[in-house]
Amino acid sequence: MKLLCLGLNHRTAPVEVRERFAVSTSKLGSVACELAAMTGVAEGLVISTCNRTEFYLVASDARQAFEQLESHLAQKTQLAPDVADHLYRLEQTSVTRHLCQVVSGLNSMLLGETEIFGQVKQSYQAALEAGATSSVLNRIFQRAFGVGKKVRTETSIQQGSTSVGNVAVDLAEKIFGHLKDSEVMILGAGEMSRITAQSLVSRGARSIFVANRSYDRAVELAAEMGGSAVRFDAWQKVLERVDVVISSTGCPFPIVHRADVEQARHARKFRPLFFIDIAVPRDIDPAVGDIEEVYLYDIDTLEQLAEEARSRRHLQIEQCERIIETELAKFELPG
Amino acid sequence: MDRWLLLTAILLALIASVRGMLAVHHGRRSRSTVVWMLAAMACQVAFLMIRGEARGVCPLKDWGEIMVFLSWSLSLFYLLVGPAYRISLLGVFSAPVVVLFQSIALLPGVLHAHPKKFADGNLWHELHSATSVLGYGALALAAVAGVMFLVLDRQLKEHHLKSGLFRNLPPVRELLVSLERLLWLGGSLLTLGILAGCLMPHDKQAIGHLIAALTIWTGYAVLMTVKATRGLTGRRLSLLTVGLFILSLGVFAFV
Repeated sequence: MKLLCLGLNHRTAPVEVRERFAVSTSKLGSVACELAAMTGVAEGLVISTCNRTEFYLVASDARQAFEQLESHLAQKTQLAPDVADHLYRLEQTSVTRHLCQVVSGLNSMLLGETEIFGQVKQSYQAALEAGATSSVLNRIFQRAFGVGKKVRTETSIQQGSTSVGNVAVDLAEKIFGHLKDSEVMILGAGEMSRITAQSLVSRGARSIFVANRSYDRAVELAAEMGGSAVRFDAWQKVLERVDVVISSTGCPFPIVHRADVEQARHARKFRPLFFIDIAVPRDIDPAVGDIEEVYLYDIDTLEQLAEEARSRRHLQIEQCERIIETELAKFELPG
Repeated sequence: MDRWLLLTAILLALIASVRGMLAVHHGRRSRSTVVWMLAAMACQVAFLMIRGEARGVCPLKDWGEIMVFLSWSLSLFYLLVGPAYRISLLGVFSAPVVVLFQSIALLPGVLHAHPKKFADGNLWHELHSATSVLGYGALALAAVAGVMFLVLDRQLKEHHLKSGLFRNLPPVRELLVSLERLLWLGGSLLTLGILAGCLMPHDKQAIGHLIAALTIWTGYAVLMTVKATRGLTGRRLSLLTVGLFILSLGVFAFV
């Protein structure tokens, strides 16, 4: 019996092709059963995320299994025959190596991301429950999960945030711990501040205040995020209670001055205050960062931190590959 | 026997320090620190039991015993506060202080080789000694938390966020909350100690000691009152906590 993988991902196919191959979470089990029901195929499993769809098979004849699966997919997706150019076909050790790279986040668009581990586990669980896997896939996947864990604990492939939004949220957690007791104010209802504020809310931030020159836009964004709109001339008053300020107005000159923050310090009882300035030109006067309890980060600093994390992750690839190769040597493959 | 126990306690706390620092340097959590500190604390307890047995009263009769009692108190509060507030790194910062205090106890002449037996101890005297040293243990740990805050604050201010130490330090707010609670706990125990000190029989020589104690107590009381009413920046609170603790050690070393 041979271990096979047919798939496509963000490196081999554009989104308009990937989306045609996508399998919804609720159908992972039934599709795995369809695979296992093909002629000469003993086991089947499908992984489907926004960046990849991969079909894992255990079959007696590799060529026959690939042909069967490709024609089945062509029928299902109704794509032109040249879609086959987007697919990769792997056999035996290449499959296990690839699977280990996938669960370790080495094959992800965002190197080292952790979500893929859970997604592969979910796919495996669905196939297992549907009875589409047996001894080979069970052993290979369980070993791959072990390798994935080893790679993540023994290297720093998943350390550090690689996007500006995540860097800001991680910093907020480093300052305030759990964000459930933290309040956030957004100055300017731009896209970047909306995304960053949403990340803070998703990690538990208690409430959001939105101040914008156009009050209607502030109301709109506040409603979208379950927060409160504030008139732009009243943000100084709100500063007395919030913990995080995200600013991204289109103003050509600074709008938050040292004097504004100094004025709020007594009412705040000198509690820590985190300013995230993602506007260009900057909204917050750099002198604000000289105030003792203020932590000020502008877009360049956040971007630099994200880039450093990305570089650090890239430096880890070799070490991760070494762990995978060592572990692969211990695998016993069929055939 | 008591010196061997003390030496073992020093070694265990030293292992906790070194292993903790290495773990932090490599960006890992120092999971074993709590175990080594627990073992060090067991030796401290055994030491204090032997000395207590020999003294017939609470073993706080020479500077060596006071230093070990202070180390025990610091370890105790770390073991109570650290895991409860998920501040495992507190151990990495506390362990060197414990090593220092216990090493001072081992210096020649600090720990009496033949502890004098006291026929019957005065209850107020013993309560004064025990609660005061316990209080200083809590205040020592508050100072440790203060140092941790100052390190983290500097790293956040200067955007130096790559070190293993930064990754392992607890959040600013958690550190400040722990620091404040330790200050209240230490301050309360110190208050009890001073009240008991006023009730115990004392001679004229004790006046200087009482004045020193009241000065230190006033310092902490002002700090906590200002923090509770007006508020203080984390940096100032930490600096004052560390400064007051060093001052209190200095004052009692000379008064």
